[in-house]
Amino acid sequence: MKRNGFINDLIKYRAILLMLTPAVLFFLLFAYVPMAGIIIAFKHYDYAGGIFGSAWNGLDNFRFFFESGDAWRITRNTALYNIAFIVVNNVLQIFTAILLFEVGGKWFRKITQSILFLPYFISWVVVGAIAYNLLNFDIGTVNSILRGIGMEPIDIYNTPAYWPYILTIVSAWKMLGYGTVMYLAAITSIDTEMYEAAEIDGANVFQRILKVTIPNLYPTVIILVLLAVGNIFRGDFGMFYNMIGNNGVLFSSTDVIDTFVFRSLITSNDIGMSAAAGVFQSVLGFTAIMLVNYSVRRYDKDRALF
Amino acid sequence: MVKKRSMIMLAMIMAIVMIISACGSNNNNAPAATKAPEGGESSTNTEQGQGALDTSEAVKLKMVFVGPKPVDYDSVFAAVNEKLKAKINVTLEGEFLDWSDWAQKYPLKLAANEDFDLIYTANWAGYNDQALKGGFLELTEDMLKTYMPTTWKEMSEVNWDQAKVNGKLFMVPQNLGESVEKLILYREDLRKKYDLPAIDSPETYATYLKTIAANEKGITPFTPETGDWKMHNLDRITLKQQYDWNLFDLDIPLGFKITDETGKIFNVYETPEFKDLLVYYKDLADNGAWSKNVLNNKNDHQQDFREGKTASITHNMGTLGSLMALMRQTNQFEVALADINPNSKKSQAVATQNGVSVHATSKHPERALMFIDLMQNDQELHDLINLGIEGVHYTAVGTEKFQSTEKSPNYTGFSFWGFNSPLNRDNESFPEEATAMQKGWDSSVYHYPLETFVFDNSKVKTEVANVSNVMLRYAIPLEYGVIKDVDKGLEDLNKQIKAAGIEKIQAELQAQVDAFLAAKK
Repeated sequence: MKRNGFINDLIKYRAILLMLTPAVLFFLLFAYVPMAGIIIAFKHYDYAGGIFGSAWNGLDNFRFFFESGDAWRITRNTALYNIAFIVVNNVLQIFTAILLFEVGGKWFRKITQSILFLPYFISWVVVGAIAYNLLNFDIGTVNSILRGIGMEPIDIYNTPAYWPYILTIVSAWKMLGYGTVMYLAAITSIDTEMYEAAEIDGANVFQRILKVTIPNLYPTVIILVLLAVGNIFRGDFGMFYNMIGNNGVLFSSTDVIDTFVFRSLITSNDIGMSAAAGVFQSVLGFTAIMLVNYSVRRYDKDRALF
Repeated sequence: MVKKRSMIMLAMIMAIVMIISACGSNNNNAPAATKAPEGGESSTNTEQGQGALDTSEAVKLKMVFVGPKPVDYDSVFAAVNEKLKAKINVTLEGEFLDWSDWAQKYPLKLAANEDFDLIYTANWAGYNDQALKGGFLELTEDMLKTYMPTTWKEMSEVNWDQAKVNGKLFMVPQNLGESVEKLILYREDLRKKYDLPAIDSPETYATYLKTIAANEKGITPFTPETGDWKMHNLDRITLKQQYDWNLFDLDIPLGFKITDETGKIFNVYETPEFKDLLVYYKDLADNGAWSKNVLNNKNDHQQDFREGKTASITHNMGTLGSLMALMRQTNQFEVALADINPNSKKSQAVATQNGVSVHATSKHPERALMFIDLMQNDQELHDLINLGIEGVHYTAVGTEKFQSTEKSPNYTGFSFWGFNSPLNRDNESFPEEATAMQKGWDSSVYHYPLETFVFDNSKVKTEVANVSNVMLRYAIPLEYGVIKDVDKGLEDLNKQIKAAGIEKIQAELQAQVDAFLAAKK
């Protein structure tokens, strides 16, 4: 009886299952199958042996990361940057989405959306070049303006303290359009009857936003944040590398795990050691997502991701 | 209902996971399984082939080059193949790794054991490292004698020795002493304009830089090569050349004096010479000799020099000479070369600056070696691969020189240098003073015992990775004068580099050097 039900369901939902297949295949091929490669982190990789034939070397590959003396600093940097990005980006995106929704005007909304979306498509290499031309000491736009109005130019590229702010702003600017569209979609799908009811009850715009829109956005926010938390120990390499490059002066406040590993191992090309760093990030990320999901569950069972 | 649906989902996923992971592991095993017989086969082939060189079977060789695919690849390689086919029944196919990402792709080609037979290699492209990891086929004397008799005859023993890693050979180096000394290229017109003394010492160079900084707004006196960090070009001029030192690896601050027979290794950062250099650099930096944001500069220094945005750059003789030739053709600025250590010992000629290796799993190593033999020693083929088609990409001038043509840019820019040999033609417009300077160096080459030593860092990899990181984080900002307090900066640097394990590397290196020298006696 049960088996019958299962087969029946398979037939019944075949269209939906078919639609799901590409995504499932994608993750299997590119996320699950390669997971076998984790063993490289525990091996002394040599070309003749390959992934499975190389000799084991225990935790040797992890030594480099933890003995560098920088492990704590860069892990902390990575997590803090990502937390800042998650908070700032989501708040700004929700704010913009609500604004666009309320302001309305079909053409205005479309055009604004497109403009906001534009930075998302600019590669980090280009963003890095733009930033250099804006911020550098000798000919940067910012310093030219400062000189123009008779102020002292600031040496941004040699001052680590500015960089957490600069990076957060750049990240927010780049991701704004993408997130806004997602939240806008979520807002549009809110039942309009609720707004009508609120209006009849005499709610003004702000009350409508606070009491209807935002509470209805919670599920979306939670899902997006949870997904982001899983990557909290992965620095956006493209961003950090192209913005900071090899400028050692800024490393104290801008070094993340990915850039550190890249820099240390680019010359030695040791696959095992890079894999070890990757495993470390994955384990931390997994722990983080489990913890957050658990907390959300405790708070409200229905809102948790799983 | 919801529960049921998720059960189906789960079942589906599980099923697909199983199917795919089964496929996946099969795929992964496949190359490993076939690899062993391949290796065996090739070695037996070599043994059989030793009597007569049998070329009856048509063979296709694939070679990996660094640098972009030349525009006229098709026509030139077709011409090459026509000759190769007739001579050794081989067709050549080239694969090209762009300059922008070759450093990432190159090791992957080997690590993933892709299907190719030959690969360009060089000391600066990780030759030692890849050889130790087993990416290249070991070349025995027998193989060389059998399959590349001409090269064996022509190549000097020093070249072979330099290419050996732990006593084993994995590369056919170029048969050409190539100077790796760095030089300075500067604007002679500006020097004359301010009536400055000839640039022949670090002091006169500093004067030049400072004068430009003070008087020429809009021109950066010096621009380093992007990506050339750690022990960079200018360090090599001001430390290595000036004090007759040499470094084992530009990513580790360990050096020795080339005149020191005992081969005593020291930490460059702890020497008084390095401290003097920091003072010299700091003075330059404070006087605006380079951009304050030099660490983030991504401009191409040669391009900047050509456009008159910067007043001096450093590079090796070949590159600077070509740039001079180009600038003289277009008649932009008056430029000149400067050797600021004219009296230092120029230890010329590292043969491993360019070379070709056979892939460890190549199916046709014997034919690959025959191919290299021809490329290095057959004038026709050598000219073809180096310069392209005569009359189109270059015009031959006598037997030793060539003239570039309009089409020259369509066939250049990638690492055909692996086949360099005395057959190389020189560019007719290559500046005479550069040639003269080179000749002067060649005549007074200094040979030293550690010339052919190669450091095997496999036992101290962790420390090497950490040291290289510390160099980038503490030493480079210090050198470019970004750290305000030099003494404090140097103290920090040395503290950090010790923590990173420099002493362990030094001990390991010293042990290897001692063993090497003892074996030589």
